[in-house]
Amino acid sequence: MRHVRVFLLYFQDALESRSRSLVWFLITLINPLIYLLFWRGALGGQPAMVGSLSLSTIASYYFLLIIAGSFLQVHIEESVAYFDIQEGLLANYLVHPYPYILLKFFTELPYRMIQGSFGLVIFLLFRFAYGELVAFEQSFPLIMVCILITVLAFWISFLFKMILGLSALWTTDFRGIAELASVIILLAGGFIVPLDILPPVVARIAYVLPFSYMIYFPIIAWMGRLTMTVLLRVVLYQILWVAGLALAYRLIWARGVRKFTGVGL
Amino acid sequence: MVISLSHFRKYYQVYKKEPGIAGSLRSLFTRTYDTVKAVDDISFDIAEGELVGFIGPNGAGKTTTLKSLSGLLYPSGGSVTVLGFTPFERKNAFLKQISLVMGQKNQLWWDLPAIETFLLNKEIYEISDAEYKKTLSELTDLLDVSELLKVQVRKLSLGERMKMELIAALIHAPKVMFLDEPTIGLDVVMQKKMRDFIRTYNERHRSTILLTSHYMEDVRQLAKRVIVIDHGKILYDGKLDNLVRKFAKYKVLSIVLDSYVPPEKLKEIGMLADYNFPRAVIRVPRSASNVAAAQLLQKFPVDDLNIEEPDIEDIIRDVFQTLG
Repeated sequence: MRHVRVFLLYFQDALESRSRSLVWFLITLINPLIYLLFWRGALGGQPAMVGSLSLSTIASYYFLLIIAGSFLQVHIEESVAYFDIQEGLLANYLVHPYPYILLKFFTELPYRMIQGSFGLVIFLLFRFAYGELVAFEQSFPLIMVCILITVLAFWISFLFKMILGLSALWTTDFRGIAELASVIILLAGGFIVPLDILPPVVARIAYVLPFSYMIYFPIIAWMGRLTMTVLLRVVLYQILWVAGLALAYRLIWARGVRKFTGVGL
Repeated sequence: MVISLSHFRKYYQVYKKEPGIAGSLRSLFTRTYDTVKAVDDISFDIAEGELVGFIGPNGAGKTTTLKSLSGLLYPSGGSVTVLGFTPFERKNAFLKQISLVMGQKNQLWWDLPAIETFLLNKEIYEISDAEYKKTLSELTDLLDVSELLKVQVRKLSLGERMKMELIAALIHAPKVMFLDEPTIGLDVVMQKKMRDFIRTYNERHRSTILLTSHYMEDVRQLAKRVIVIDHGKILYDGKLDNLVRKFAKYKVLSIVLDSYVPPEKLKEIGMLADYNFPRAVIRVPRSASNVAAAQLLQKFPVDDLNIEEPDIEDIIRDVFQTLG
């Protein structure tokens, strides 16, 4: 209950910044809409197939990408790197008898929930307006597995971004690493196009990286494009990634916190 | 002893870049590092309930020591214990008994009333409802902020915010407090209120307090014992009164003249520290202050005369010049 109360307090803080959440959501919204318009223009008037994907499938993908982009793409790395490490606010956390990672988790989760709910509203509106473009076939057991995949995707995203933020303990300028990671996530996470229409070699590489398990696989799982066997395999890989990233985080934290000097205090 | 440092050292490796483009290009392949001795072999003990002033110029090593005592930094050598714990292990049992207040850093949520941060700390420190209510009531009464608890932090004045920061830092009733420039940026009235609060809190709870401040009035009003540090080494550790006696080898004669006297004449009495007619300040050897005062009254048209101890700032400056 203690953790729930802490989370609710952080949720109050996030609610005070709802207009900022809306602006960030609009930024997330723009890209999928542009890609969708592109595909609609490119496939308009044709049998509308790209590889094995129909326009309806592609439309579903980008509509779900709006939710995934706003709920599953964690942005905690900037707060960790710029405010906590470079400006020294980490000192406040270190003298508290509560795990830093949990406080950052409770800082981030409300923002993802608020922005994700914006995404859900937009998705439902599009589904209502363009129902023929958004196709889903889901059963109850599949939905349960999809929820599990979504939760694990959030943890992969969160742990990866925490590690990314902690890299500021070793680097003078964090922006270079952050930009590089953004570019890789954009491509390998499936933000630009579904991974199965990328060149096979690129797709194979993307499938073994954690980024596809953050965004791409949760989306196609919700679309009902994966069999139960494949879904369970995705869950297994996600658990392995969560475990690996959690271990990496522990090691990096243990080493990095020794380097923290609390600049500017 | 509540706080104990023995031969404590903290060194940093600092990258040193050669000037110019050649230096920049060279640094791509090879970099040279200097070792900065932020704190170099210092030892002191602080007993329960003591309020100690920790003073020194910028870069002397004060904040580094405070950060090490509160568990933020790993020492390069020596031993540090606080309440029997090794600070940098940051065990919860240790963190629940200490507090670090940094005048320039805040922990309050900016967009919410301060009470929400207090509630967060209640959960973080696992404070019981009864204990929380009792401590909050005591602190808000002492600091006179009961009416401000539900006001958004961003709407509070700097002084009000600082009071709220103090409450957030003390809501778990710590046994040891590290106060780093707690009055920085506050006006004179608010500084006094803060000092009164710190004194009352220390007396009431017998909490051990290590205080750094650039305002010597803070130290003078609050600390009986001072530790003077410069270039990472302790220059003095003892009673403030003894520091004054040891290093203030002069007294200050402040006079108001009836009519103008050339400065050369006043210099015959002692060192003329300041002269802005009709006021003059003359430093004379401590042992000769009475004789000098008599001479002044005899030789010059003095309207008013005061024999004073020198400012603590001047004494500290002398300590740094003599021992630093």
